[in-house]
Amino acid sequence: MFVGAIFFPLLGATISGFLGRWIGDRAAQWVSVTCMVLAALCGILAFLEVALGGHHTVVPLVTWMDVGGLEVSWALRYDTLSVVMVAMVTFISTLIHLYSVGYMSHDATPARFFAYLSLFTFMMLMLVTADNLAQLFFGWEGVGLASYLLIGYWYDRDSANRAAMKAFIVNRVGDVCFMLGLALVFYVFGSIEFETIFAAIPQHAEDRFGGVRAMELIGFLLFLGACGKSAQLGLHTWLPDAMEGPTPVSALIHAATMVTAGVFLVCRMSPIFEVAPTALGFVCFLGATTALFAATIGCVQNDIKRVIAYSTCSQLGYMFFAAGVGAYQVAMFHLFTHAFFKALLFLAAGSVIHAMSDEQDIRRMGGIWKKIPITYAVFWIGSLALAGVPFFAGYYSKDAIIEAAFAAHSGVGTYAFLCGILAAFLTAFYSWRLILLTFHGEPRADHHTMEHVHESPWVMLIPLLVLATGAIVTGAIFAPLFIGEHEHGFWRGAIVNGPHNHVLHAMHEVPSWVPVLPTIIGLSGIALAFLMYVFVPSLPHRLAERFHGPYHFLLNKWYFDELYDRIFVQPAQRLATVLWKTGDAKIIDGLPNGAARLAAGVSRGAVGLQTGRVANYAFAMIIGLVVLVTLFLFRA
Amino acid sequence: MGGITEMEIGLAHYLTVGAILFVLGIFGIFLNRKNVIVILMSVELILLSVNLNFVAFSAKLQDLTGQVFALFVLTVAAAEAAIGLAIVVIYFRNRGSIEVEEISTLKG
Amino acid sequence: MNWTLALPELVLAIGTLLILVAGVLPKRETYFPVCMASIGALLLTAVLVLAQGEGSAFGGQYIADGFSRFMKVLALLAAAVGLLLALDFNEKERIGRFEYPVLLLLASLGMLVMISANDLLVLYMGIELLSLPLYVIAAFDRDNGRSAEAGLKYFVLGALASGLMLYGSSLVYGFAGATGFDQIAAAFNHQHGVSAGVVVGVVFVIAGLAFKVSAVPFHMWTPDVYEGAPTPVTAFFSAAPKVAALALLARVLYDPFGDLAPQWQQVIILMSLLSMVLGAFAAIGQQNIKRLMAYSSIGHVGYALMGLAVADTAGLRGLLIYMAIYVAMNLGAFAVLIAMRRQGKAVETVADLAGLGRTDPMRAAWMSIFMFSMAGIPPLAGFFGKLYVFLAAVQGGLWLLAVVGVLASVVSAYYYLRIVKVMYFDEAAGRLDDAPASLGVVMAAAGIFTLAFALWPAPLVAAAQSAAMALLGG
Repeated sequence: MFVGAIFFPLLGATISGFLGRWIGDRAAQWVSVTCMVLAALCGILAFLEVALGGHHTVVPLVTWMDVGGLEVSWALRYDTLSVVMVAMVTFISTLIHLYSVGYMSHDATPARFFAYLSLFTFMMLMLVTADNLAQLFFGWEGVGLASYLLIGYWYDRDSANRAAMKAFIVNRVGDVCFMLGLALVFYVFGSIEFETIFAAIPQHAEDRFGGVRAMELIGFLLFLGACGKSAQLGLHTWLPDAMEGPTPVSALIHAATMVTAGVFLVCRMSPIFEVAPTALGFVCFLGATTALFAATIGCVQNDIKRVIAYSTCSQLGYMFFAAGVGAYQVAMFHLFTHAFFKALLFLAAGSVIHAMSDEQDIRRMGGIWKKIPITYAVFWIGSLALAGVPFFAGYYSKDAIIEAAFAAHSGVGTYAFLCGILAAFLTAFYSWRLILLTFHGEPRADHHTMEHVHESPWVMLIPLLVLATGAIVTGAIFAPLFIGEHEHGFWRGAIVNGPHNHVLHAMHEVPSWVPVLPTIIGLSGIALAFLMYVFVPSLPHRLAERFHGPYHFLLNKWYFDELYDRIFVQPAQRLATVLWKTGDAKIIDGLPNGAARLAAGVSRGAVGLQTGRVANYAFAMIIGLVVLVTLFLFRA
Repeated sequence: MGGITEMEIGLAHYLTVGAILFVLGIFGIFLNRKNVIVILMSVELILLSVNLNFVAFSAKLQDLTGQVFALFVLTVAAAEAAIGLAIVVIYFRNRGSIEVEEISTLKG
Repeated sequence: MNWTLALPELVLAIGTLLILVAGVLPKRETYFPVCMASIGALLLTAVLVLAQGEGSAFGGQYIADGFSRFMKVLALLAAAVGLLLALDFNEKERIGRFEYPVLLLLASLGMLVMISANDLLVLYMGIELLSLPLYVIAAFDRDNGRSAEAGLKYFVLGALASGLMLYGSSLVYGFAGATGFDQIAAAFNHQHGVSAGVVVGVVFVIAGLAFKVSAVPFHMWTPDVYEGAPTPVTAFFSAAPKVAALALLARVLYDPFGDLAPQWQQVIILMSLLSMVLGAFAAIGQQNIKRLMAYSSIGHVGYALMGLAVADTAGLRGLLIYMAIYVAMNLGAFAVLIAMRRQGKAVETVADLAGLGRTDPMRAAWMSIFMFSMAGIPPLAGFFGKLYVFLAAVQGGLWLLAVVGVLASVVSAYYYLRIVKVMYFDEAAGRLDDAPASLGVVMAAAGIFTLAFALWPAPLVAAAQSAAMALLGG
């Protein structure tokens, strides 16, 4: 069961990847779906046993290597933290596999797609069940690779290739920090096994490295690594572009699972962050800023998937600042509920795109809600959950986050609280802007497209309905376990709160206006959206004209891409051009200078000895022999 | 008898002859500009010097191993010569010449 | 006399003769079944090797231990894959004759004898049993002038090398008074100081073996023969015989000449240095990809020799791991090269690979993996191969070797990456033919090994460790 949950996806990936050509596309699809169903069953059983039954366990697989005092094993660590992720990842991945059967039905190479998708799932599971940082890093790079492959899945599209490259490069920046953090952990603790590290934290809590507390430094580095994967401010630029991938990929990787790996990392390393208050404060600050920043951009984007992408970015910010005030459980809870409603929103968006003949611009949609009622309904459910309207899943988790931020009673906590409230307003606004523009109003698509608008097949609708159910009920069902009164018996030490960290307790004792505020704010955001896009439809246009500067600032995503282009991309390109001209081109053409000339000269010299004449070769051998004998005698 | 002892041919003489043959063989390989057959003969010369060494040592050491070794070398040398000649024939069929200088189209 | 110890060799010898007869008798062409039977014989022998006991036989001339087991299995697998690579190519080039697999079997038998040799006479017999078939298969495409030239060059220089080695053997025999490795070791153990005759003898024997592994300065034949010989022959040359010759070199240096380690260490260090540097630089401007691979293999031998130069268990373990990884990625890369055909005609320049990234992404991906791995880029297997020898060299105090090794690998990364660049960024020179299934299998198997080694290196490392301990006894 424990092993099955992890390795069924790998089996599926192997079969559809390597044998897909022989067994045919249909068979490959259904084999990988079957493997995922089995994995999900295993995952849910594991959840019941580990999280609810309280049997934490480590399943050893094989010894990876033991050299130079470093012994590392492959092992699956099943505690509540990882099993929550395993159950969630396998479950959602199964639904998305199923959905993809319908969505990718017109694709040329579905076997390849399913192989990548299953490979991704395996890597993600490897990441969350890692028993040591090396294994976690393996999974971390593995999901990065799978994400790269899937973003660039339509490799004949130039934009897809560019987006894939961008994701790859931006993530490398984060990964370098992660690797430095990993190296520092090994340097400080002499081990990378979680068990050993966490046990040794008290001895090393005050260690210094280069004048700085080592724990703070490790916290910073690991968090910067997490920023890359979780698209936090500064390293967020790849996520919206990643929407070039097929929509199920966006739902699985860039909403529900991979991007939450950063949050998972912070929670997994909670024992270290608990003794690194400065790093934790930074996590909180950056998370809160991202939550607000991404929400502002989401308000003006016109690509249906990009709006949801910025929304993901913003929600990840929520998770980080929850972790940043020490409420890791709340962060995990939001991660869990978010996976359901964000996957739902993406898949519903996919269903819309499917219906609109691959149109993604919401300015060319509208007036289609009667034609695709189920998609419309689930889109509402997803948005209600996202906006935190009472009794939907997002209500429980988002409210808890805002309460925790308030209850932290610290500077960054209050900052996060304010950002969170503002972002909640914007979230509600852009969600309904999206709904109203997409489904309501006059049809703005051409006649031909409108005729073809149709509800998606059942193989796509069933996952939508299951996720919609999840978006409604998961909050109410799991809130007592994750963050409520059963919290302690549920986590059982998988997440560590320091002795001075009472935020989980304090968040239940905030003034009564605090829990109500997000709801009121959210509803007013919805109201504003209705006002602007239903009652006074000319208002958005007038506002955009009036506030030309701010509007374009938001539309161009705070000019982050342009900034990076100026600072990094263009100089790098110039440098590369220079290197290319002086290096590569000249070595080949044989007109070199400096090191290149030396290399080419040595090369020509070495090749010049190779005259092709047997006599010369024999002569070289004899000369060599004489040299070697001399050397030998000299030593003797 | 003393004079005869002085004239007795000892191990050093055999080794010297062996070394001369060996060096002749090696020079034959890389100073030869004519044809490949000469190279084959030079290789035989090297093997001859080796055999001479083995037999001389064998006699000196009162040990049969060296002579057995020499017999093996002889046998293998025959096989080697056969294969070498076969390759030379193939080469000649393709290029119409066995000039050593011309065996140099592969180079660089 | 415990002749059952040599069961793998006996089975392979008898099997080869039976296969030869079975190939001759039928009237029709028997290339394919003979190939299959030969691969079967090689694999059967590998299984027998794994089941082989330990000890020495034939009056101490033959030895079987953990070291020989590791190297024999590696050599046999390399030979079997080498034969698989020739399966399709030879038929398309109209050289699909049954003698080819039989010659490969004989060469493999020679390799087994070499690896188990514990006597100068057995060493000689093993080397000749390996060399004679190799001379023939280098010239196997007998209507092709280049192949004939390759065979002729290989023969002339090979005969010279074995002459040198024999001359060295005769001197060692004369000064040690015996040909058995154990007796030679005992004899040198008692002598204080070494005479010039012994020095010449030892160096000449090393030279003969260095010729087979194509270490500088005995490498001169390599580029020409690699370029001229049919590509599957080149693939075979670059893998299995090198394993056997390095095994023999290690045994000769550690066993009979173990007491001379401080002296021969200098020789091996020099050869290692020169090989790494030459392999890195000479390949830079090459257009013919087989020639490029020849220089590349010279460089790789340099790294392997670095492990040998350390002269301790860690170094030897590094050598064994390096060879195992080298064989896998090299055969994988050759599978890609052998599959290079345009409209049925074999092509072999770097430029012919242009655009492969678009026309056949799978094959280009495998080739990129092999190239990255050979360049030593983590986390591919080639990186770990280098890591183990570098670590051993640093621990053994051979800083110069390690530093030059790192620099050489940076230089050589240039031409490996150039191949990747050509595949992905250059304009396609025209579509290459689809790869036959047998080559696809080799590519995939070698590629998965190269990729997955980082995930689970423990079995290979443990096997190499115990093999190294078996030879060095500690």
